[in-house]
Order: sequence, then C-alpha cells, then structure tokens
Amino acid sequence: MSARPPGSFRDRAGALLERPEVAAAIGRAMDIRARGRSTVFSGADVEAMRAAGEAIRAHTIANLPRYLDAFAEAADRHGTRVFFAADASEAVGYVREVLRRTGSRRIVKGKSMVSEELGLNAALGSDGAEVTETDLGEYIVQLAHEPPAHITVPAVHMTRAQIRDLFNRELGAAVSDEPRALTHMARRVLRDRFLAADAGITGVNFGVAETGSLVIVTNEGNARMCTSLPRVHIALLGMERLVPSFRELAVLLPLLTGSATGQRITAYLNVIAGPRRPEEPDGPDEVHVVVVDNGRSAILGSEYRSILHCIRCGACQNVCPVFRQVGGHAYGGTYGGPIGAVLAPLLEGFEQAGDLPHASSLCVACTEVCPVNIPLHEHLISLRRDVAATRASAGERLTFRLWGLLWSRPRTYGVTARVARVGQRLLARRGRIPRAPFPLSRWTAGRDLPPLAREPFRDRWRRRHGS
Amino acid sequence: MDRSAFLDRVRTRLAGTIAPDLPGELPRTMVSGDGRGFDRFAEELAALGGEARSVSPDELEEAVKAAAEGCTRAVLGADLGPYADRVAGGLAAAGCAVLEPGREGAAAADLGVTGAVFGVAATGSVLLSSGPGAPRTTGLLPERHLAILPRDRLLPGLEELIGRLPAATGSASQMVLVTGPSRTSDIEMTPVLGVHGPEHVIVLMVGG
Repeated sequence: MSARPPGSFRDRAGALLERPEVAAAIGRAMDIRARGRSTVFSGADVEAMRAAGEAIRAHTIANLPRYLDAFAEAADRHGTRVFFAADASEAVGYVREVLRRTGSRRIVKGKSMVSEELGLNAALGSDGAEVTETDLGEYIVQLAHEPPAHITVPAVHMTRAQIRDLFNRELGAAVSDEPRALTHMARRVLRDRFLAADAGITGVNFGVAETGSLVIVTNEGNARMCTSLPRVHIALLGMERLVPSFRELAVLLPLLTGSATGQRITAYLNVIAGPRRPEEPDGPDEVHVVVVDNGRSAILGSEYRSILHCIRCGACQNVCPVFRQVGGHAYGGTYGGPIGAVLAPLLEGFEQAGDLPHASSLCVACTEVCPVNIPLHEHLISLRRDVAATRASAGERLTFRLWGLLWSRPRTYGVTARVARVGQRLLARRGRIPRAPFPLSRWTAGRDLPPLAREPFRDRWRRRHGS
Repeated sequence: MDRSAFLDRVRTRLAGTIAPDLPGELPRTMVSGDGRGFDRFAEELAALGGEARSVSPDELEEAVKAAAEGCTRAVLGADLGPYADRVAGGLAAAGCAVLEPGREGAAAADLGVTGAVFGVAATGSVLLSSGPGAPRTTGLLPERHLAILPRDRLLPGLEELIGRLPAATGSASQMVLVTGPSRTSDIEMTPVLGVHGPEHVIVLMVGG
C-alpha cells in the first residue's frame, strides 16, 4: 500500500486553499472537461447508454469468479501469463520477480492507477530500477516528485511556467513555456527511454474474459510504445475491470472516453493478445497480467459493491465542487474526488481514510454524471454512518443523543431556539454572526453564521392562520 | 495466491448475490454508424487533424507521392496486398528511400506506411494489426503515418468493428485502432499533436 501522507483531509485541503491559483487552474480544467462531456453525448441517448453500462457492470461483478477464470484460461491459450495477487505485496513481489528474472532495469510505464495504489514505483526504485512514467502528465508529476492530482489530468495543478522551470532544471533544457515546445521536449527525452527500455508496465482499461485480451486506451500513444518496444510487458489489472466479451465494449468504451475527456473515441485503442508470435519482427517476448485484489473482494459482499462498477473515467471529480477547490492531493491517496472518498476508506480502512466521506457537499453532481450509475452520494452517506459507528467518541455520542432528544420534541426544540435568539444578540453584527463561541467557532472561522429570524416560523404561522 | 484460492475468496464474498442478465440489445452511441461512408470518415479524421482521400488504384501512386512529400526515409509494411507496387512507386517518385522494417528502421524513418484491416466511418479510424510482415513499429515511430485502406473494408460504426474483433484477435498479438494523430492536453489543457505517436496521419482509401 502506498504510504498515506500524515494529516487529515481538512489539514491538506486547508493548505491547498492557501493557494488560490491551484483552485483556479483546477476549476478551469474541470470546466473544460465538464463542457466536453455535456456535448460529446449529444446525438446519442446517454441515459440508455448509462443504463446499459450499469447492467453490464452489475452482471460482470456479480459473476466475477466465472469471468476471471475464463479470462485466465483464454489468456493462457495465447501465452499471456496471468498472476493472481491477493494484496499489494504479492503484486509488487511478482513484478519484482519478473523484472529480476528477465534482467530488466530500465522500465517505462504507462498510466496506471493500480500501480499508484500498490506503491510500485517506490518499490522498484529501491531495487535500483530506473522507472520512467511516460504519460506526459504523469511524467511531469514524477519529475516534480508529486503524486498525480487527477485521474486523467495528472498535472492539472501546475502552470506552464512551473512545468518549464521543472524541465529546465531537471532535464538541463532551455525550453519556452509553450505547451507545444514543452510537449515535444518531453517527446524527445521519452523516445530515448522507450527505445532503451527492458520492460513496459501499463494499466488496463478492460480485460476481455472471452478472449483473454487486454484493452488499453490512450491519446498520446505511450501505451502503444510500452507494449511494443520492450522485451517484457507487465499489465496491472484491477480484478473488477473485466468485460464478458468484446460486444459490451461497444457501449462501455464510448461511455468511458466521453465521460473521461469528452472524446467520442481516443486516438489509440490497443487490443493485446499475448506476446509476439514467433514470426513477428517486433513486440514483447513475454506478456504478464497481474490481477489485483488488494481489498476489493472485501467490498463484494457489502452494500458498497457497486463502487466496483467504476471504470475510472474521473467524471465525478470533474463536477465535484469540493474536488474543484482542492484537487486530488487533498485526498492524500491514489483516488480523489467522490470515487476516492468512497473507495479509499473501503480499500485502506477507516483509520486511514475515514474522514474522506465528509469531503463532500452531497450535491449529487457525481451520481448524476457517473457513466455506470453508481449511487456515489448514497455510498458517501452510508460511509459517514459506518465511520461514525466505529470511531465516534463517548462525548460525541452523548452530545448527539442529547441533541436528538431536544430537537425531536416541539417544546424542547422551542426552548433551545428561544435561548439561541437571546444569546445571538450579543454576537450579531449587521444581520450576520461573524464570530461565535466554541463549538460554533469552527463554523465561523470560515464563514459567517446567519442569525435566527426574530420571530420563529411556527409563531408566525400561528399568528396568521391560528393553531 | 493461486488462482483457485483467489477465486474461492471472491466466490465466498459474493455468495447470495443476485446477478442481473446482460442487456439483450445494446443502445446506439455517438460512435454508431449513420449510413454515410467515406464522406463521414474524411470529415471525422479532418476534425482531429488527420487527412483522408479516396482514390482509384490508378491514382494511388500519385497520391502516395503527394503524401510522402518532404519525407526522405520510409518503412513499409508487408500488409499492403495488391497495392504494394504502387505504394513503392509513389515513394520512389517522392524521392523517399525505403528502410528495413523493424524497430531500428522505423526509429530512423520519417514516414511509416501500413495497410489497414478495417476503417470506421463514424470515427475516422483505421485498425492496424501486427503480424509476420507487419511490425507494430511501422505505424508508430515515424512522425508521419500513411495507411492504405481497401474500400470494401470501411465499416459504418464502432459496433461493426467490435463485432469483427474476436475473429481478428485469434491470430494477431496486437491490434490498434488509430483515430487521428497522437494528442495530449496535459499542459494547461492546451491541445498539442504528436506526443509519442505520429503527428501526421493520412489515410488513402483505395478501390474501384
């Protein structure tokens, strides 16, 4: 498991909010993504697509053992070696062993959230391997020694000037801050890495159970490079990322690309079925698939099962008002935004990530854009309940019990309101309460508190309509 | 963990879960066909920064020469079928030397010419397949990629292509559906073409 930085969501988000330029950059990017999504599906019945996507994912997850078994059988027939990893240490151990056996030291990597989840780069780095991220955004954040800030736009929080300074410092280059110049600078550096690489490591968008094929979509072409040039290809597959057959991809692929980047289709759609055949002039000699559980199977029997329907498009992040203010780093782990706020506590435990379900205004925008209709906001509410059940202190429980007693009876509710109306006279300034004593000070530290109306609603109702 | 123990664990956790059926008929999507053929293909590819032309076999040599303009070294797939000679003629006319295919040749070339197994009108895409005479580097490493698509291989939409993948995947270790130039918008969301794959993609559809 990749190490979680110390501190809570609140601490990290607070620090990020001190940098308004970050929120502005993320907000701009997310606006572009959200606009792209809203236009790309025009001309199609997006609700019918989402319903089909949901049904396909629910069917697949409920039949996962059968499809995983079929996938492994079919993959074996074309020479792909499949390893089932119960947890991160088994997955990392297998990758290390393959690299050691094949004498692979120079590694090129395609985008993989699972690899972040496993903490793979750090492990391989400590073995002395030279690991290069090759998705442009991932390469930038790797040079900056930072984790990705968004699923599909890893360097979303950085400006072109920061990237220029980074390249000029780390690559000894003298390049302008034009995105085209920066991109082509990275192309030259990474081209040499691709040609020299011993092994390529990538994620997988979909594993096809019927044929044992790996489906990988990219726009830059880095996954094509990682799976074509090195002698060894290792693919990391979250165990839930299967489809029964190619047929289902006719809906899931446009749902994925439309939701992720507002594209009708990506530049490249790779379908990989094993190592190069004997008569082929290029391609890897070995193809390995690591099927990763790492906490997923524990979710299967719970009310949160549908979170495993996720196809990692990032659309929920793009529309989330909390994510748009602070970006992925505030979440402290691999997965940020609404998907991360549900997935991280389930995969990493409440001790580690139990505060994340509160990083939401429950506005339901995430659920409304999810291409496979995952009820994200319902999961967030249920998780808040579950987290509270395990970690609320005795004092907290007593407070809420008393509050509940007072406010579930009209009389006692009225008494508290009367007390508050008297008390607020000391605090109100021009119709607002800018500062209040503890515990309300936690609220007024960030914003004003609106005072209660002079006349309670119930009194006014009685006055006008009688009781 | 061995496979059976891994699957048993998943099975145990899923016990009692009711599995919905797969949807019988899948809905149309924005990449379904609309009845148009090459016009749609060319429109879609042009919108992405690529280029498509429909030519007769007799016009092919001239079209290859035009597509190769400015290039000096090419690699050539052996999957060009009956058009191999005309493609070679066009390259010669453009003054373009032909290098040995494979990674060294492709890395040194500025033009890669491949065949296309299928084209998709609704997206402007071509499907490349690796194989004995078709190295995967040919359409990948050079800055310009020229694909030769037989007219009878143009399909209306993504569904039709996907319907043909299971048969095609039986023999090929890798297939890639290419839709326009390599692209990114990772720096301030600014679109830039030509990141790792070709910056220029030209498709010549050939047929009588």
